[in-house]
Amino acid sequence: MAIRIHIPTPMRQHTDGNAVVEVSGETIQAALDALGEKYPAITQRVFDNGQVRRFINIYLNDEDIRYLDNLETAVKDGDEVSIIPAVAGG
Amino acid sequence: MPSEMPLTEEERATYEWQMWVSDFGEQGQRKLKNASVLVSRCGGVGGTVAYYLAAAGIGRLILAHAGNVKHSDLNRQLLMTHAGLGQSRIESAKRRLKELNPRLEVVAVAENITPANAPRLVAQADLIVDCAPLFDERFAMNEQAVKQKKPMVDCAMFELEAQLTTLVPGKTPCLRCIYPQNPPAWKRQFPVFGAVSGAVACLAAMEAIKLLAEFGKPLLNEMLLANLRDMTFRRVKLAKKPDCPVCGKR
Repeated sequence: MAIRIHIPTPMRQHTDGNAVVEVSGETIQAALDALGEKYPAITQRVFDNGQVRRFINIYLNDEDIRYLDNLETAVKDGDEVSIIPAVAGG
Repeated sequence: MPSEMPLTEEERATYEWQMWVSDFGEQGQRKLKNASVLVSRCGGVGGTVAYYLAAAGIGRLILAHAGNVKHSDLNRQLLMTHAGLGQSRIESAKRRLKELNPRLEVVAVAENITPANAPRLVAQADLIVDCAPLFDERFAMNEQAVKQKKPMVDCAMFELEAQLTTLVPGKTPCLRCIYPQNPPAWKRQFPVFGAVSGAVACLAAMEAIKLLAEFGKPLLNEMLLANLRDMTFRRVKLAKKPDCPVCGKR
């Protein structure tokens, strides 16, 4: 088991096209750091000076981490983490 | 919302299939007839929303969309036609909607939403469907939706993914709570299939119909994330941001 990070379509160019990346870690921060170690280019898309960019939301399962413990939110094997960027219509 | 105008015999015949929906019925149909909806823009998402609202018997649509029809519109903007290339998008949209439903009143505005026109356009509507491709337009509608206490169905897409939520001032977060900042790299043109814009548009139209006719359970405080690449549909929770600059003190 591992933590599964769902990568949104606009960022998959930075994960070799992978929609899901499995990582290990005890917090959201650690899981996203592990993602960045595998795919360094994605870190800059998600973070700005160590903070999640304000047009991106990170979910642990169906909960926004802003309403949990933010990047310090604990995660465990089997959890699903989603990176959800703002998109628009057209 | 007002529900004074009764249905005509023609309207009863036209809408009988949906009036058979037991918790909608003739009462729901009258509410739609007396409702006004602002849709911006009316391209791949908004055009399809407008088409389904016209089909459902909405009384009045306020449509905002600038520019003329281009070839690159025609993979998804179903209110535009090949014969209309080079001509006004909004006039093409109005013509197609009136062909489907000649009883529909269309307020056709050949402009995109701006902070300057949003107050006036939102004031004319009972509900907004946000289908705009640029965040400045979306945030201008959001600000007015909050100020004027109007519900807004918010729909978005990229490639084969779609997002949908229904925002009701006082009951849910606003768009700025969810996305406090305009994504700087977002561009008006992006990869998408017409079937994706159409899919999210159909869901958005149903949200609008439910809110206006006051039946069913709208998608409040949750966002639907639809991925048509692998047909996964899931919902995540949304929450009001206490320090939101738009709705935080309301």
